[in-house]
Order: sequence, then C-alpha cells, then structure tokens
Amino acid sequence: MLRKIFFSIFLFYFLSLVQSSFLAHFRFLGLHLNLVLIAVALINLFLKDEEMGFISAFIGGFYLDLFSAGKMFFFGFYTLVSLLLALFIKFILSHHVKIPFARKI
Amino acid sequence: MKTSFSAKILILLAVIIAFFIFINRTGYYRNLKNYFFSLSSSWQASLWQAGKDNHSFWTGLIEGRALKEENGILKMENQELLGQLAALKELRKENALLKEALKIGSKDDFQLKLCDILSKDMSGGSLLVNKGAKEGIGKNMPVIIGQKILVGRIGEVYEDYSEVILITSSKSSFDAKISEKETYGLVKGGSHLSLDLVPKEKEVSAGEIVLTSALGGIFPKNLMVGEVSSAKKSDLEPFQDIELKPSFDVSGLESLFIITYF
Repeated sequence: MLRKIFFSIFLFYFLSLVQSSFLAHFRFLGLHLNLVLIAVALINLFLKDEEMGFISAFIGGFYLDLFSAGKMFFFGFYTLVSLLLALFIKFILSHHVKIPFARKI
Repeated sequence: MKTSFSAKILILLAVIIAFFIFINRTGYYRNLKNYFFSLSSSWQASLWQAGKDNHSFWTGLIEGRALKEENGILKMENQELLGQLAALKELRKENALLKEALKIGSKDDFQLKLCDILSKDMSGGSLLVNKGAKEGIGKNMPVIIGQKILVGRIGEVYEDYSEVILITSSKSSFDAKISEKETYGLVKGGSHLSLDLVPKEKEVSAGEIVLTSALGGIFPKNLMVGEVSSAKKSDLEPFQDIELKPSFDVSGLESLFIITYF
C-alpha cells in the first residue's frame, strides 16, 4: 500500500509538470488534455483497490491545485473535483456496470 | 461492511473539506504553492521551452502551405509598413523638437520587469511567471510583450512567483477604444475575446485595431489589445457583437514584461 502511495505521488507530480508546462502548448480538438484527471479516471476504472483509487484521486487533485497559477474559485477545487470523479466512477461501476476484467486487475 | 466504507468516505471528505477551509482562510496555500513552484521551477522552465519548440515544429509541419501564403501577405504588409515607418520617423523627429520647445516630457515610459513563463493554468486563462512579491510585483500590474502588446494583468502574487490573468480569460474585463476613433467599449475574455457595449450607431469594421483606454485605471492607455475580426449588428440588441483577435499567441511566448509603474 505504502509503495503504491509513493508511486502515485511521483506519477502525479510528473504528470502535473508535463501537463502544466509541456502540454499547455497543445490543444486536442480545441481542448487542453488533462493527464491527471485521465489517470485518476483510469485508476478508478481498472484498479480493484477502492481505497487506493480515492488516495490517487486526492493526490492527483491536490497537485492540480498546487500547479495552477491562480485558484479556481478556492484552493482545493480540483481536489474535490477529482474525488467526486472517483466517487462517481465507483458508484457507476458498483451499481450499473458489470465488467469482469475491471475487477480482476 | 459497505456502510462502514461509505461512512469512512464521508468522514474523509469532511476532513478534507475542513482542511481546505482552514488553508483558504489562513492563506497558507500561498506558502505551500510558492514552495512547490520553487521546487519545480527549473523543470517547468525546461518543459515550457521544450513544449514551445515542439509546438512550433508541429505547427510548421501541419500548416506549411498556409504559412507560405501568410508569409507572402506579411512580406507585402511589411513593405507597406516600412514606408509608413519612414514617414513616422520623420514625424517623431518633428514631435521631439516640438516637445522640447514646449517642455513636455514623454508620459509613455514605463518601469518594466522582465519575467519568464513557467506554466499555463489548466483552464488556459492564466500563466505562472517567475517574479513575485520579493521583486516588488503587486496585484493588477499590467503585463505586456514587446511593442506594447497587452497580455494581461497580475492576479495572485506569491513570494517568488505570480499569476498572470490573460486578457482572454473569463476573469478579465477592461475598457478599450478603437484606434483613431472615439469609440469606446468593454473588452471581455471568455470563450472568445469580445468588445462589448459598442452602440449600433458606431461604424466598426474588421481589421481595426483596439487599444486600451485610461478609463478603467488598470492599464495605461494605448497598449495594443488586438484587432477586430468580426462586427455584427442585430435589430434586437442595442449593442454590436464584436469579436477580437488577440495580438499574441501564448504558445509563442517565453518572456513577458510586467509594468511596475506607469
């Protein structure tokens, strides 16, 4: 568990750096790609460990708040968005979707 | 078991919200952000440069033909402007002589601070630059690039870093006027840059240059904002729907100037 948390801390730090400084120059279909939120969504979709999903969402969102130049409404906005995204995915998965492989990883 | 997990989540969410309320009220997040920016600024600067180079390369590759045509048009425009420049230089000389005779000083000199861009916000509306409160940067100071082109104003100020709110951001609105006309309006950012509150009776056409006016007090007058890309009139609306094209492209920028005094 601790190893996974450390891995998430480094992974999301790297993703936030790349997204805010490198990918900021590029647009895909007119939109800026948000690597952090995509990673949070994928982790919550495919990781069996529910707690780890929420921890990743917290770390990812927190980095987004830290690396944004100003603040969107308040500091912590992206963390809450990221946690709500994780909750939403978990809710949909447990109530409406049955994907056998999604639970086995 | 499931209820206990939900209860755990709810407690965790409550703790996180309480933590954020505390950090927002005390303003401690500024120190935290400043620390993280200091930790990563060298990597951010390198990544920004790499992103800029890559963007130029791919844009050049994709838009090669369009660039060729644009280059031709620009060359012609350049020649025309060189002609105008020669005439203006003569006028400047004459103006300087007249000013000296009348003892009027130039009011267009600003005190500038050069800063480098480190990153762009996820919303696309603001940039992070490497000058902060320690270097005398304050909130709402205008930010420009060379040739007096307005980029935005300072938002949040940290100890060593600052946020630049771009004029294209939805947080931005200020007074402006159309060059060589007494037509004033309100420039607003958002999904596109627009010039609002221009009455229907005023004649506005595409290609006209929009400059800042001294009305709002935030920006010095006569900084270039952009050019009119389209102007539409509707019988139902009292004002025109004017879209502007900003004079800068964030992807091509590396350094900015902060006007610390004007």
